[in-house]
Amino acid sequence: MNIKHVWIVFKKEVKDIARDKKTLITSLLVPMIIIPLMNILVGGGVQKMQRDITENISIALSENSRTDEIKELIQNDILGNWPNIKLIDVDDPIEAIRQEVISAVLDFEKDYKEKMESGKPFTINIIYDRMKLKSEASLQMLSQAIGEFNARVVRERLTALNINPEILEPARIEHTDVADENKSSNPILIMTLPFMLGLLVVVGGIPAATDLVAGEKERNTFEPLLTTKPDRASILLGKYFTVTLFSFVSVVSIIIGFAIGYMINPNSLTMGTGTEITGFNIPTPALVLAILIAIALGMTFAGIQIALSTYARSFKEAQTYLSFLMIAAMIPGYATMFTQPADIQLVMYFIPVINTISAFKMVLSGTINYTNLLAALLSSVVYVALTLTLATSMFNKEKALFRS
Amino acid sequence: MIKVKGLTKKFGDFTAVNHISFEVNDGEIFGLLGENGAGKTTTLRMLATMLKPTEGTAEMGDFDILKEPAKVRASIGILFGGESGLYDRLTAVENITYFAELNDMDKESIKERVNYLVKAFGMEEYANRRASKLSKGMKQKVAFARAIVHNPDIMLFDEPTSGLDVSAIRGVHEFIRECKRQGKTIVLSSHSMSEVEKLCDRIGIIHKGNLVDTGTIEEFKEKYNNPNLEEIFVRLVGGKHEH
Repeated sequence: MNIKHVWIVFKKEVKDIARDKKTLITSLLVPMIIIPLMNILVGGGVQKMQRDITENISIALSENSRTDEIKELIQNDILGNWPNIKLIDVDDPIEAIRQEVISAVLDFEKDYKEKMESGKPFTINIIYDRMKLKSEASLQMLSQAIGEFNARVVRERLTALNINPEILEPARIEHTDVADENKSSNPILIMTLPFMLGLLVVVGGIPAATDLVAGEKERNTFEPLLTTKPDRASILLGKYFTVTLFSFVSVVSIIIGFAIGYMINPNSLTMGTGTEITGFNIPTPALVLAILIAIALGMTFAGIQIALSTYARSFKEAQTYLSFLMIAAMIPGYATMFTQPADIQLVMYFIPVINTISAFKMVLSGTINYTNLLAALLSSVVYVALTLTLATSMFNKEKALFRS
Repeated sequence: MIKVKGLTKKFGDFTAVNHISFEVNDGEIFGLLGENGAGKTTTLRMLATMLKPTEGTAEMGDFDILKEPAKVRASIGILFGGESGLYDRLTAVENITYFAELNDMDKESIKERVNYLVKAFGMEEYANRRASKLSKGMKQKVAFARAIVHNPDIMLFDEPTSGLDVSAIRGVHEFIRECKRQGKTIVLSSHSMSEVEKLCDRIGIIHKGNLVDTGTIEEFKEKYNNPNLEEIFVRLVGGKHEH
């Protein structure tokens, strides 16, 4: 192996790929456009959905309950503080729920008035459709409204009996948030960003890997290259580092993509959940370790990609083999998507892809466990060595190189 | 000088090249004549150190293909048939320069040599044009220049005219003659009788991995008492070729 030869091959490959519009669009432009667009659209969608289910809710009364007294009770006493819920008249209330004209129907017990006046409980049946998001949300709001009405009536009754209503509240609940304002503990960001980073580190080098060996074979440039002075190891490493570089170009693009999305709409970073990202307080050593782990993951997959591209007879065959890598990255990615940083076991830091995603989750949470980060880094180095050995062995196999 | 000594290549149970030996003198064009699948390309790939022989070896100039493969590669130039095998996204000059760099030429020598080759092959007009924008003829010239940029003593031509039209074939033949004029030692593989008759000083007929016979064209005609090389070839390979 000759470093000078590695550098010559690397330089040429980077120049060559940088001139390939297809690869540039896939590695650079797509993450920069798709990520902010997706975040903004998903974020906007979530916000709109939240607005839709909490605003402009229409309800109706069942046929038996459609009296002026009940209407008055609802409008003045139960929904007095709920201007977003409107009582309307419909002919067939159940069908109206199904048609989403209204969200719920209130059905009052026949002798509710007598029971209320005698201080006995009466029943209000809330009819809703649990398959409809807005209807299910209205159940919660109506339950809360009726709960508030109950509390008010109880207070009035106790006061009438000269009993302090506080007797019903032995313990008061208060909330104190101790979250560090400088840390981002937004669970959505912790779920999405490490997953996307992990996925892109894995797939970002695929276009380059396909082009650099299988593509060369197909274009008949590979054999002349093998007849030049450099040994196979130097040629392989030049290509290997190019694939690694391009997997990181994708990662940088996705980070820029997130930043663009944040600049356009700060809410996009948390996908419209309304949680503000107040800042990141990531210790530099932890960030450096996480980046090194991601670089090692990129190198691990660059080895696999080069090996598969070498084995492939054609560009298309290489594309087919390499597309499976995306699935190989997505399975562990989805498996850990909802895992919270504190719940990640040490063993997870030894599994490729999962270790990188876990490291970034931990770093974003701001609570760092250096033992776990070092475990992830060391295991990643082992995987790099293993896949580089695989690539070298494939690159030296005549049967693979000249397979036709 | 090239000395091929009992060169053998097996792929599993299949013997692609079977103990072939021949010599090529300095400045000579040696033609390996054979049908498709006879073992010509495998032989050239072994001489270029792309494939490792199962048995035997060869000396390419002062270097043994097994002991000093890198030095062998640095002392040979190779031209394949069919597509010119250029990097489409690099310019003509960048294609040539890349191979010069890979062969360890220094910056100054590269500049001088590339300028010389651009002029010698009349590529001034398109030297800085990307290979994808070049015509077949232009690409061919770039491939020639790339093959000899490091001024190798030995040239290997593997079916260099395969799939080319008449004028392109003439271009290749002229290039081979120019290499000979420059004193290079040349091995040319071909299945075209007229091509080897036109260009080669000596030929070797290869069939199913075996070198059946070697000699000058005249020696072949005299030995087999036939003025027609094609008939001699058919007789030697048993008349079973598929053309």
